[in-house]
Amino acid sequence: MLDRHDMITRRKHIDIPEFYVGSVMAVTINDPNATGRSSRFVGICIQRMNRGLKSNFTLRNVLDYQGMEIMYEMYCPVISSIETLRLEKRLDPHLLYLRDARPEYSTFPMDMEPELIAEDAPVPINDVKVKMIDGDWDKSWERQELKGIDLSGLTELQKRMALKRKTPDYVQYDLMKEYRSTLPEEDQEDIYREIAPHYPALVASQRKFRRRKLAGDA
Amino acid sequence: GRNYICIYFNYSYRLLLNMSQAEFRKLIPALRIAIRPRSLRMRNIDGPGGRLKRIAGHVTNLIRDERVEHNFPTLSEARNYAERLIAEAIRHGDKHQPTMDLANFYLQEKQLVHKLFKVLVPRYRNSTVSYTKMYKAPTITNRKPAAIDHPKGILELRNNPLPPLEPRPIPTRNWIHNVLLEEARKDFAAEKKMEKELALQNQIEDQQRDQNDEID
Repeated sequence: MLDRHDMITRRKHIDIPEFYVGSVMAVTINDPNATGRSSRFVGICIQRMNRGLKSNFTLRNVLDYQGMEIMYEMYCPVISSIETLRLEKRLDPHLLYLRDARPEYSTFPMDMEPELIAEDAPVPINDVKVKMIDGDWDKSWERQELKGIDLSGLTELQKRMALKRKTPDYVQYDLMKEYRSTLPEEDQEDIYREIAPHYPALVASQRKFRRRKLAGDA
Repeated sequence: GRNYICIYFNYSYRLLLNMSQAEFRKLIPALRIAIRPRSLRMRNIDGPGGRLKRIAGHVTNLIRDERVEHNFPTLSEARNYAERLIAEAIRHGDKHQPTMDLANFYLQEKQLVHKLFKVLVPRYRNSTVSYTKMYKAPTITNRKPAAIDHPKGILELRNNPLPPLEPRPIPTRNWIHNVLLEEARKDFAAEKKMEKELALQNQIEDQQRDQNDEID
């Protein structure tokens, strides 16, 4: 597929590291239309959307008491580097509730140093229960099945409504919903077979980038 | 190959592109039938739960009777679920608890759970084609007062013991006109071959005559 070919070509020029929703990342952009030569943004990844060339992720940070979110498309040529400063997972598929959480959960220093972990170590899962602000929330997070929120401060009415919206049991038996939300095994194998010839070149270029980065840091 | 899936796969791949990134941990075997990118909306007083229960009813009837007739779109949808259920049963067997729960949900009679694992799984274990077949059934009915004639369909399991729906193909090779045509074709081919050989021989003779003339 042309999409996949373009993605592989891009990955030979830039190292896109492993990251998950909940990882803290730094992205530098060299946009000719922006002021300054390159701009760097550090933030926690709150969402990953789309597939293929349009794959994107959103980073959130609080700077000068102002919450900011920037969405980056992974294969955009304007991006000059993507680093994972803290590799970890969270309990939820997205962290959009951080908008209504206390600011300390979204604040990360712009000069944060990368935290290294062993290559074959499992990805740590951060099971923090985030405390929310006292005022009105943008969305009723208590009604979504989110495990990373501290819901101890809810009113009785809110708790009852949360129970009402619980996903029913029959959803787990919906075979076609499950099938349509993933790629079947044979098609996955086709894709892997298609990109397998490119693996050696990709791995070599990844090693080159990381060696270059370490040499740059040292 | 799997060309009959590819057309629909590409359409659903475009839909998948716009969804959030789900993990592909659970490996699901591909369906061997073409499916629509969106599921069929089936209006039900009990909502989505009632819709699934109705589909389970059709799947139950299919497993019990091995052939069912109903409205075409509903049966098409139920067909997907039946194929998935049989695929899961073949992959995991009856000792796997989640598969047992699935069979329990979709098969509303408990003997049919045994039939699924003891009869259908061995029947389809080594199959490379779909487990079900779908036909369009006659829709025209004479009803008074006139009503909407919904398209009807027949859904059946493959290799079922019932009399076949498709007529046996009649061998037509020994019909008289086909025999005569076949002989005519052979004669024509032989004639053409002879003409070619004659032409070649004439060409050789002409060349020899030219050479002789030159010598002379």
